[in-house]
Formats: sequence, C-alpha cells, structure tokens
Amino acid sequence: MNDFSLKKYPKQIITAAVILLIVVVLAILKPGEQELLSRTSPEMQKLIEADQHSSRKRVTVTYNSLLVINYASLSTSGAKEMSEKYVGFLGNVYPADEGPAKIAGQMVNYTYRMLGVKENLMHGAKLTILLTTLTVVFGILLGTLLALGKISKRKILSKLSGAYIFFFRGTPLLIQMFVVYFTVPGIFGFAWRDLFNASDAEAVYKGAFLAALIAFSLNSGAYCAEIVRSAIQSIDKGQFEASKALGMNYAQTMSRIIIPQSIRRMIPNVSNEFIMILKDASLVFAISLMDITTISKNIMTSEGSYLVFIPALVIYLVITAFFGFIFDKIEKKFSVYE
Amino acid sequence: MNDNYEYILKTEHVSKKFGDLEVLKDINLSVKKGEVICIIGPSGAGKSTFLRSLNQLEKITSGKIFVRDELFLHRENDHTVDKLPREKQQQLLLEMGMVFQRFNLFPHKTVLQNVCEAPIVVKKEKKEEVVARAKELLERVGLSDKADAYPSRLSGGQQQRVAIARALAMNPEIMLFDEPTSALDPELVGDVLQVMKELARSGMTMLVVTHEMGFAREVADRVLFMADGIIAEEGTPEEIFTNPKAERTQNFLSAILDA
Repeated sequence: MNDFSLKKYPKQIITAAVILLIVVVLAILKPGEQELLSRTSPEMQKLIEADQHSSRKRVTVTYNSLLVINYASLSTSGAKEMSEKYVGFLGNVYPADEGPAKIAGQMVNYTYRMLGVKENLMHGAKLTILLTTLTVVFGILLGTLLALGKISKRKILSKLSGAYIFFFRGTPLLIQMFVVYFTVPGIFGFAWRDLFNASDAEAVYKGAFLAALIAFSLNSGAYCAEIVRSAIQSIDKGQFEASKALGMNYAQTMSRIIIPQSIRRMIPNVSNEFIMILKDASLVFAISLMDITTISKNIMTSEGSYLVFIPALVIYLVITAFFGFIFDKIEKKFSVYE
Repeated sequence: MNDNYEYILKTEHVSKKFGDLEVLKDINLSVKKGEVICIIGPSGAGKSTFLRSLNQLEKITSGKIFVRDELFLHRENDHTVDKLPREKQQQLLLEMGMVFQRFNLFPHKTVLQNVCEAPIVVKKEKKEEVVARAKELLERVGLSDKADAYPSRLSGGQQQRVAIARALAMNPEIMLFDEPTSALDPELVGDVLQVMKELARSGMTMLVVTHEMGFAREVADRVLFMADGIIAEEGTPEEIFTNPKAERTQNFLSAILDA
C-alpha cells in the first residue's frame, strides 16, 4: 500500500534531497539583517545612529528575507535624500544599484510583497489560497446537492438544478462577482463593509472578500455539480442494484455506497477545478482586493517595474504545483481498495 | 407477520415488455418454503429478468406477485393496480436475498464490512452481534481469513462466496441466484457450487438461474426450462434431464450436454 519506497522513486528522492540540502546550506550562509544594515555608507550609519536617540525617524528601512536571499532598502526623507539598497546572498552582501544584484533585489522585494509575508490573510498569496480553498469546499458541497438534484427523478428538482448550472456556467464569473458585490447590496440597501466592525481598518477588504467568496462558491457549485454528477453516474449500476436488494433506501445507498466510491473518481477533476479557481481568483482585482494580481499591478503602476509579473507567474506556478501534489496524495489515499 | 402461508412466493400471469420486446409472457410459478428451484434455458429466454422482477429490480408490465400468500404487487399495462403499503413491501423484500452474476460487492469496504453493512444500516442491529454473525457466515463460506481484505484482492469465486454471505447476513427466507457462476473461471466454479449445495441442504428456499446442469440435477427439487419468455417445461430433474418432453428442451439439452 505504501508505494513511496526508495526502490520505486530513487531519482525523485535523491533530487529532492539534493535540492533541500542546497536550500538549507544557502539559508544558513545568508547574511543576517544586522550584517546587511552594517554595510551602509558612513552617512547612512550616522543617520541610523541619530534615529536611535530621536523620536523623529528619518530613515525608512525595508527588510525582506526570502529563504536563501534577503534584501534591505534604506531611504531618507527631508533635506538630504539618500537611498541605498543591498542584497544578501551566499554569505556576501552586494550593493543593489545595478546589474544582477538590482534585479535580484527587486525580485525579492516584489515576491515578498506579493506573498504578503508580513500581512494578514487579506493580502497576497494568502488571500488567493484562502479564497480558492474555501471556494472549492463550498463548491463541492453545493455541487453535490445540485448533482443529486440533477439526477433526481423529480422533474422540478432536476429542471431547477439544470437551470442553475446553465446560468452559472453560461455567464462570466467577473460579472457574477459584480452582481454580488454591487447589485445585491444596491437592491437591498446595505454595504458589504458594514457587515464587519466599523473600527476595523480591514472591514472594506473583509466585505469584498465575503462578496467574492459567495460569487466564487455559487459559480464553482455549478462546475462541481457536473463533476459530482459524472462521477456518480460512472459508478456501476450493479452497486445500486446490490444496495437495493439489501434493502437500503436511496439516502443510505447514496451516502454509504455511491458517494464514497465517487469521491475517488472526482479527485482529478476537483484538482482541475481547484487550479481553474486559483487562476480565476485573480479577478478579485476588479473589486480591489489585494491578491497577488492586484499587488503586481500596483507595483507595475507605482514603480514602473515591468519585471514584476515574472515572480507573479512563478508564485502561481508554485501554488499550483503544491496543491497538485496534495491532490495526488489524496487520490492515492482513496485508492487503497483498488 | 403471517407464518401460515402456503406459498412463500407466487406469480400469476407475469409479463414484462421492454418497449416492443416481450421478454416475459404469462409466467406462473409457485414456490413452497424449502424448495430449491433451478431455472435453465438459452440466453435471452428471460430467466434473469424474471428473477429480477421478483425482488423489484425490474418493474413487471402486468401480472400479480404474491409473497407469503399476500398480494405484494398487481400491475396491468404498466400501471400499478394494487400493492402492499410501502413499508410492508420493504419488510417482505428483506426476506429475499439476491446473488448477482457480477457479485456487486462494495469495493470500498472490506469483506467483513460488506457482510455487516446492511444488517447494521437497514435492520439497525447491534454492531457486535452482526460482526459475530458475519464471522460465522464467512467461516461457513470458507473465507474467515479474508475478513479484512478488500474485494479487489479476492478471486472471482471468493468474491461470489462473500456475496452469498452478505445476502445471508440479512437472514432471508429465500435466496435468488442470478447466474452465480457464469462470470467465474471454470476452476473457481466448484467452491461456489459447494457453498450453494450446503445452503440447499440446510433447508434454504432457493431460486437459481444457472447453466450448471450438474448442479441443477443434483440439488434441485424442480427444474424450469425457460425459452422465449415462457416456461416451456417444468418437472423434477429426472423428468427434465432424462426424459424431456418439449422439443425446445431436447434441443437445448443435447446442445449443452454434447458440448
């Protein structure tokens, strides 16, 4: 049952171990924050020194640390403007004024911001992952109900589910989100942010997130319904007959025999749906949620850095790969009986 | 429940159409408790359809089905004329165990879970009692060492014996076998037949659709020969196998026994 053995995956295991080792060594060799800041020019050192005894800070320090590489940017405001940037990598500190060190420094800084390392769940990759995961969970629950409705012998249920699926698959998710975010509160006279504590500075974001989650879940439900329906209908008719012959009713047959067997067959499609939602989640930029896409667009606009989209793509790819791996594991776990 | 009945199962004028195709035409059969009846005949004769309409896996087009002398279902031209209340029907259906050609074990459950599932879920029996009984049944079909295996790890013959144990776990009064050995490799047939013979000897009422003439001859009290949706001939194994009267029976038997 446990097929994760050295014999079967020697190459993969050795590669993973080597990569891990390299990462660990690089992370250990990485210069620390103090080391980076101590490399500044004498003038900057004086200003930092002065700041320690003054309540008016003149130096703004930005420090980003990403596993094997880190980046510090120091800038001053006021009469004498100064700006210094440093990149720490492999035991060395490089001034990031030009060339590879500059690009590396920018990449670290952008990635750091898009991941939302120091921010709460309403920012960057955390927001994207949270929205995607919750959407898939609610989508599957809703999709299961819709699928049972669709295959139901009751005409009304079947027609209603069919209409729901037709509507949500036949219209753009972006507009569905606009409807939930703008139209619904417009009609019913409320504002999404008012659902949260007014003193909460993040109330706007939380309100928008809730609206996005509702729109995404309603949309995903329609797609998951088709996934669940096709999985249920792929189960051998003999399973229904055996259950019936043993006296089980419809609910017992579905919940104990058919759906547990369908789950394994759904996993590859759910994995697909997950990746689709992950990418669709970038649409939340349209209601100004601070996800990876919005942050990259903001960096592009405010700092004129056209390179920012490259780390953005890499972040999406890493998230996709990670969850693809997780879904693979889940599928194996559910396959023990085959 | 009514225990003073003449026939445990009876059909009157049962017919079944799939569209224009008439698969069963006017089938009349009465089964007494403890009888072992084998239904033989060429494929397409309607044997399986008949068996499946007894426990409602197929809806009959017209005719009457009695269980324990009570009118279980009466249909004419695809409309239900009369039937027992739903709950009563459900209760009587539990008295019929079914064994399928393709086993239809639950692949996501172990052998023991397969056997225990229905008594616990449907009859709400206590888990410990069911497990104890299931283990006895597995021993009876010679598979006590496979209790924790998944069906996919078993041979066809072993799967079919689990399926028999699963049906028996519901304590049915009558067992329906739908070509239980047809999907098996020849060398695996014997074990399954052995279990069925033992079951017949223990006094179980059995209705067996089969191509195993040796089994029918040895175990059956009565043999029905079905062809083209009718019971073409009916009698003791002696009468059917050594002295068949109908020409269809003679042709069928000579074709099978010569092969």
